[in-house]
Amino acid sequence: MSKKKMQHNSTDQIPLPPKNAKVFTTACDYCVVACGYKVYRWPVGKIGSVQADKNAFGEKFPTAIMQGCWVSPNQHNVVSVNGEPYHIAVVADKDSKVVNVGGDHSIRGGTIAQKTFNPNTPTKDRLKYPMMRVNDKLVRISWDDALDIMAEISQYVIDKHGKSSWAMKMYSYQYWENTHALTKLALREIETPAWAVHDQPTGHGPDTPGMSDAGIDNFSASYEDWSLADVLFISGSDPFETKTIIYNEWILKGIRENGMKVISVVPRKTTGVAYNETKGGMYLEITPGTDAILHYALARIIVDNGWEDKEFVDKWINNRTERDKEVFHADGFDDFKQWILNYKYANLELASEITDIPKEKILQAAELIAKPKADGSRVKTSFGFEKGLYWSNNYVGTASYTALGLICGAGNRPGQVISRFGGHQRGMMPGGQYPEQDAPEKFPGWRKQGIDLDRWVEDGRARFTWVIGTTWTHAMTASNHLMKVLEKLTRGNPYQLTSNDKNEAIKMFKQRVDNGGMMLVNQDIYPVTPIGTLYADIVLPAATWGEEDFTRANGERRIRLYSKFYDAPGEALPDWKIAAKFAQKMGFSGFDWKNSAEVFEDAAYYNKGRRTSYLALVEYAKAHGKTGHEILRELGTEGIQAPVRWEEGKLVGTKRLHDDTLKEGTSYGLTEIKPEWLRKFKTKTGRANLLKAPWELFSDYWEFMKPQGNELWVTTGRINEFWQSGFDDQMRRPYLKQRWPDNWLEIHPEDAKARGIESGDKIMAWSDRIPVEVGGYSNSKADLKVRGITPLQASVTIEEPDNLEQMLSSNQSDLGISAESQGHGFQEEPDLLEQFVTHDDMGYATEQDSSETSDQGMLLENGEEDQVMKGIESAIGLKWKDVLPMTFSEMLKNGYVEMDSASFEAVAIVTDAVKKGVTFTYFNLPSAKGATNSLAGRILDPVSQRPRFKLARGEIKKIGESPYKHKLTEMSFKPRTVMTNIKT
Amino acid sequence: MNRKRISDNLKSNKTCSINHSRRSFLLASGSAIILTSIPGLSSPLNAIQQHYPKKFIAFEDKLEQDKPILFRYPHDDIRCTSSLIKLGEQAGGGIGSDKDIVAFNNLCSHMGGVITGIYNSEHKVAGPCPIHLTTYDLTRHGMVVSGHATEALPQIMLEVEHGKIYASSVIGLIFSFHDNQIV
Repeated sequence: MSKKKMQHNSTDQIPLPPKNAKVFTTACDYCVVACGYKVYRWPVGKIGSVQADKNAFGEKFPTAIMQGCWVSPNQHNVVSVNGEPYHIAVVADKDSKVVNVGGDHSIRGGTIAQKTFNPNTPTKDRLKYPMMRVNDKLVRISWDDALDIMAEISQYVIDKHGKSSWAMKMYSYQYWENTHALTKLALREIETPAWAVHDQPTGHGPDTPGMSDAGIDNFSASYEDWSLADVLFISGSDPFETKTIIYNEWILKGIRENGMKVISVVPRKTTGVAYNETKGGMYLEITPGTDAILHYALARIIVDNGWEDKEFVDKWINNRTERDKEVFHADGFDDFKQWILNYKYANLELASEITDIPKEKILQAAELIAKPKADGSRVKTSFGFEKGLYWSNNYVGTASYTALGLICGAGNRPGQVISRFGGHQRGMMPGGQYPEQDAPEKFPGWRKQGIDLDRWVEDGRARFTWVIGTTWTHAMTASNHLMKVLEKLTRGNPYQLTSNDKNEAIKMFKQRVDNGGMMLVNQDIYPVTPIGTLYADIVLPAATWGEEDFTRANGERRIRLYSKFYDAPGEALPDWKIAAKFAQKMGFSGFDWKNSAEVFEDAAYYNKGRRTSYLALVEYAKAHGKTGHEILRELGTEGIQAPVRWEEGKLVGTKRLHDDTLKEGTSYGLTEIKPEWLRKFKTKTGRANLLKAPWELFSDYWEFMKPQGNELWVTTGRINEFWQSGFDDQMRRPYLKQRWPDNWLEIHPEDAKARGIESGDKIMAWSDRIPVEVGGYSNSKADLKVRGITPLQASVTIEEPDNLEQMLSSNQSDLGISAESQGHGFQEEPDLLEQFVTHDDMGYATEQDSSETSDQGMLLENGEEDQVMKGIESAIGLKWKDVLPMTFSEMLKNGYVEMDSASFEAVAIVTDAVKKGVTFTYFNLPSAKGATNSLAGRILDPVSQRPRFKLARGEIKKIGESPYKHKLTEMSFKPRTVMTNIKT
Repeated sequence: MNRKRISDNLKSNKTCSINHSRRSFLLASGSAIILTSIPGLSSPLNAIQQHYPKKFIAFEDKLEQDKPILFRYPHDDIRCTSSLIKLGEQAGGGIGSDKDIVAFNNLCSHMGGVITGIYNSEHKVAGPCPIHLTTYDLTRHGMVVSGHATEALPQIMLEVEHGKIYASSVIGLIFSFHDNQIV
């Protein structure tokens, strides 16, 4: 990119596509909603005109008011097709009857034409050729050389250091063909447990475990459901901001046509929240991280008044625990009721104090969501949530939310659903299973745990790491700690390349990995700082949206083809092809796909049981002499909702999961797609589980993260105008850059005044007490004691072979952890090993376990039973002493938490849209001069090993004035909650 | 008609096969391109400013703050309905002694919703559009405050001569048009 400032060029004309312009269907690349778009493409020099019969839209221009057909200048671009220049107009499909009905679109998708590569726009720095770092500069090399070097070093690392020293960090979402090929390589062929997706440190398990333990698929709802409720209870999200068209087309429809009332539980009032309030909804201005407490209080009010949906509860709630499956299960509704009625944190007074939501508002919300009408009929309530909830308090937050929804009768009916709204589109289509048997950690009574890849790399366990399509150092698990380690393992290692000779490179990288260093590969579409520009040894250029035929599902499981319509820049290749070429160099079979359509069909067989199952579509296509991609092309922007079924000779989509109103026909095709969970919940009995997940599993961490002294909460999130880390929009889309030229931070007027901050001032936010989990992989007895972890691999230094053998059974792995690294701080602690031996091999506590483990930890100092502890133990089905080592306080005490420091900069926006004591900043923009996410603690949820990166706090001070304080051309400081002329 | 271009940093100024074509298109209307900047702006706005025949709108001294005056420009066409407002606060492109008089087209550049008369005088914000709630900052050249529009609200640029305010040019493509000059 040139150093000249990127500026928006507002123009006043666009070329019209001629009548014979070629039309491709696609969907937006960004948020989970995936609005349907059409791409009109025509050669430069051939332009349509204003008469209806002389342009591809068949409309006379200028078009009639409210007619809906328009191409804005940001929807036009010029691209290369087989080397020739073509105009494109990328416009939302105005004929769409699903998702973005009538061609509605967000500001992100509405400007997606600017994403396409055009060397005369800020996209000119797309990665075009493979490069290798030689004498500390990235120089061009051939694909063959790059992949030869990677394959040689990979094989060497796997042979010498074990397969878990071969690591991959990749996006989870960027199209099925790519994720299938990459996971087939990493998980099925290499079988490394050192694998994780962009937003999580561990490689497997559910994102919203409280949902899955209850038996509810977190994408079970259909978009129409968001318009069918009487009341919608939203937590941790304003869909207006981040999944715009769910709001525009479905929530607004519910409000305007059905009088739906929307309750928003967030610490920040955004446009949707403000509008909902004008229409009878509520804004529950919650203190970050305290949602579970609100759920308990609401649940208590409901069961205390008998407002639960009795008919639904009788029919759909498990009447006794599925103990063999999960540890938090209530033993039926009555057990849940007793628990919530007696649970300290369900007390309204205390809940109001902790959440900082007035009691009256909590009572009013409980009435809205559950109180039967005067005639005894029930309101239909739906529950939709996102990351403000589940990336603050992952297990307890989602479990308590789901329980609240279930007692209100939601979960499986039109307009009565519990579902995520979604973040990224659903683009994971696995090609292998996570090799959990090879992951070195297992916790008592809980799920098996995948490798925490950040900590694994920080511990020096990875020798070859391949980072694909994620910033990693600045993304959700960002920590300065990781950044420093990555630098040390790569550029900080004495073995550096001085020539681009392949054999020299191979020799040098072998020396480096044997010297405790790491070889790092970064594969992306742009140079990523710092991981690609400063640390990576090899940088590979990827092709993306519009440059290959891809497929993926949106947040209502709707599958569409994202058509290729122009050339990728330079030698850039789609990720699936890079994975396949590399796999072939490694000698793996099953990677000889000729095109992405073949990858799509392969993946169908492997994933026939998924909620996004489309095997029926592939079988149907074959029976009709077509490819699956061809069928999807015919289905256009409407696509089809998964699981796809082939019934009565036709392809049938599935609108909603767990829906017993679903009518199934006779199956056709070779493979019957008829999972039980189409019409029932995803449990053994088909009934849902109520979970008793106690606040105490989280409270110590929340107390620690609570702002102290002069600190404020520093929450992060997305904003309507951007998607991702700014690579397409904030950094390279002048129109949006003009709106948001820099990172910003919203701060309440009182907090601003106390710090002398005005809108437009430049501020710095920082903290030097950011807790980051460290260590634990040295496989020593010390780890056993303090982390409560059972190492699964054989270890020469652990001296209880009998116990270990019982635990290990068939789970031996060839993790090549070296003997030198083990045994420090070794301590005898036989009791702690004993508690694992009676666990079944699924890793869950057995009944026998609970009854036979000693009562230690439940006794108070005076020897009496601690009723609080007893209550918690009853809720979680485990002894507190089993749980204790994994709690934040114990880990801190035992040296498994270090304090990191970090800072970032932003332009202040003083607004009462944020709660007092809370600030809000974008989650990941390079202009922040530091990772905003790195202020968040990197302490994983002890149950789910998911991050809690919405919880951050820091000090904030003015460091100057930004140029935007007095500029009239860039950045706006106006409130985003202006509701002029809206009738309430 | 005279087309002014208000910056030298245009993507079409670079040479390459693709861009050359785009530039050809931009030149196809035959308008002269002059590099200039709009007087009275605190920083230059990078935009094409298309001049049309001047049209008298109002007397400066008759304007009441925050009371919009409706007019049509650049064409006498319902889609060209615009609002002139004295904001009482300095604005990008603002004229008059306080540089606070501005005018904008009234069609939401998201999907063409009519925002005539929807103006928040406290914040100098137009909208929210009654369809999907987009708002625009009238002190910042019609920049989107919140919402979905893929272009700023087209700004009708004004001139003042002897106390009389005229509309004289337009920045931005008006919704439903593919070229502001072709009705």
